[in-house]
Amino acid sequence: MSAPPAPSSVVQSALARDKLGTLSLLHFSLTAATPLTVIAGGVVVMFAIAGQIGIPLGYVIIAVSLWLFSVGYTAMARHISNAGAMYAFIARGLGRVPGVAAAWVAATSYCALQASLYGLLGITAEGLFARAGLELPWWAFALAAWLLVGLLGTRAVDINAKVLAILLAVEVAVILLFSVSNFAHPADGLSFAPLSPTALGGEAAGAVLALAVIGFIGFESPTVYGEEAKDRKRTVARATLATIGILAFIYIAASWSIITAVGDDNVVAASADPDLMFTLAGEQLGSAWVTIGQVLLLTSVTAASLSFHNTTARYLFALGREQVVFSWLGRTSVRTCAPVAASITQTVVGGLVIVLWAVLGLDPLVHLFYYLGTSSGIGLIALILTCGIAVVVYFARDRRDESLWASRIAPTLAVLAMAGVMYLSVAHFHTLLGVEQGSLLPRLVPILFAVLALLGAGWAAYLKRGRPEVYAGIGHGAKAPLVQAAERTAVPVGVTGDR
Amino acid sequence: MPDAPTPRLIYDAFLITAHHDFYKPAVSPHVSGLGLGAALLAELVISGHLAVHAQGGEDLVFPGPRGQPPQDSLGLWLVELVRSEQDQLAVPQWLEYLAIADVQTKTAEHMVVAGLLLRSERRSRWLQRTQVSYEAADALIAQAPLARMRRQLSTMDQRMPLVDAFLLAVTEAVGLSKPLYSQLPSGARDYADGHLRVLPAPLQTLRGHLIAAVADNAITGNL
Repeated sequence: MSAPPAPSSVVQSALARDKLGTLSLLHFSLTAATPLTVIAGGVVVMFAIAGQIGIPLGYVIIAVSLWLFSVGYTAMARHISNAGAMYAFIARGLGRVPGVAAAWVAATSYCALQASLYGLLGITAEGLFARAGLELPWWAFALAAWLLVGLLGTRAVDINAKVLAILLAVEVAVILLFSVSNFAHPADGLSFAPLSPTALGGEAAGAVLALAVIGFIGFESPTVYGEEAKDRKRTVARATLATIGILAFIYIAASWSIITAVGDDNVVAASADPDLMFTLAGEQLGSAWVTIGQVLLLTSVTAASLSFHNTTARYLFALGREQVVFSWLGRTSVRTCAPVAASITQTVVGGLVIVLWAVLGLDPLVHLFYYLGTSSGIGLIALILTCGIAVVVYFARDRRDESLWASRIAPTLAVLAMAGVMYLSVAHFHTLLGVEQGSLLPRLVPILFAVLALLGAGWAAYLKRGRPEVYAGIGHGAKAPLVQAAERTAVPVGVTGDR
Repeated sequence: MPDAPTPRLIYDAFLITAHHDFYKPAVSPHVSGLGLGAALLAELVISGHLAVHAQGGEDLVFPGPRGQPPQDSLGLWLVELVRSEQDQLAVPQWLEYLAIADVQTKTAEHMVVAGLLLRSERRSRWLQRTQVSYEAADALIAQAPLARMRRQLSTMDQRMPLVDAFLLAVTEAVGLSKPLYSQLPSGARDYADGHLRVLPAPLQTLRGHLIAAVADNAITGNL
């Protein structure tokens, strides 16, 4: 593959200098991930819920599935506008009606996932500050973080990126330190049993895979910057692959290291301690590391809340710009150009969730973090699967000079893999929630998402008949006004001279 | 309040987007650059020095039919840049280039020469650098473009000039709808929409790409 041709003019040189390389895109996508939240808040829970040691294998399976997905996803991103949002892929691959249905499911899932983090944040802060002598309920800490996230969310995105980058660097360093320490203090020597195919099975497999997918959310963000990339064909694909690879390495190494330090036979029982990662660090490195780890977990969950807040706000903003939902969600801040209306909306939703859970006296860890977080995970898996199908259908119509691997083979394998993950997650959703099979809640969540999708599809059908110019802009995000203007004058997009 | 002393679209766009006063905030620098870029392109399209046509699915900027070069240095600079391009560039590329080429400062310097702005320098010992700022020579003149548009939107008694209709489009696109429409009669938005809908095709194209560029900036941040 040849490098892009050198710019031939002053203007093109200036524009080229402003383009982003792989490392810049990697910076944006990795700052959207908060690995310590996944390791300390998720992996230990996975041991407890699954009752198995196959967590590293679960991460391997999901990393490979998402890598296959990303091959077709980044290939299609080169041919469409609004390439940062999966509903846009669905609108272009399967049609605008499924696109709006997916947009409603996506917006709800991101919203719920962000709100769920306030439960983990509140309970972590409550424990940490209680040890320091400050006794306050979880919701007081959650509301303080909510206010901070709400304020930062209405600032320019680059400010947030710098905050997130510093937190990420510290987090990764501590995770690697803890992991190396765990491997250096093995209970029974280094065991490869966690990577054996028999280590993951039964009803718990679906729970493990669903939780593993949530840890990778954010991997799709390099496509958002496709138009700013130095080489749209290679830079975005490399950054996406590197994001999945780096996150997979961290998750696999950390979860495997915990098993190594505790022992294959003891890790499930030891996971009753939600602070297992930090307890091990305290035993091996000194008690100060427990506090350091917990403080970093608190900042990590706050960063995760901020990251998902921004993702959700941008999603709502793009939908507002398209007028697919309330058009006022498409307003920006004059001073910072941040999507301020969408950001405030997400802040209000998060605040209502915290207040509601506090008033009803619900448990922040089980009823907010686990229930709401895992439920949103089901919505996001459905979104990735539908997006994968859209990629297959899109390239089935026309390969657009993409390779057979990128346009046909990898997307098809990704759909098969994600369909398997979706089936296991829905079928074993009761395990994920920790309730009895046949309970109302595990059945209610998929039904709720189905109803949302149907409502979205109904709204799209209304737009098609009642507001065709809005319907034409579906899936185009920021560029929707161009498409809508073209529709008003019944001239194809981009044609201006004859209008 | 007096009307603006100059019909120049880009001067009015600068006073609306980059000048901060009691009635409205200054727009973020990158978005202001995009808005000023659109205003400069529009001004040269209206004067016939540049043209916007669709070709190969893209909206490209071409040298216009008017033979004589622009009289002022700002317009001349852009027209010469467009002429020097071997392959014509698309409108979004020009908007992005004008934003990163600091068209805001170039416009401000131009307005200093025209006597509309005053340039002041302040040496910061802490930052070890000189900060340049531009203040309006006359605060009433600085407020005039927005006041003029608000007057037209409130009286709604005659057709808006084309230049003001595009200025309206820029003001809305950069996010200043609130100060523009605040406390105006209920039909003001419909009156404005009526003007925006009938903008000539090249100006419609510039407006659409400006709106899209501002939204892109909101999604990807100030890269």
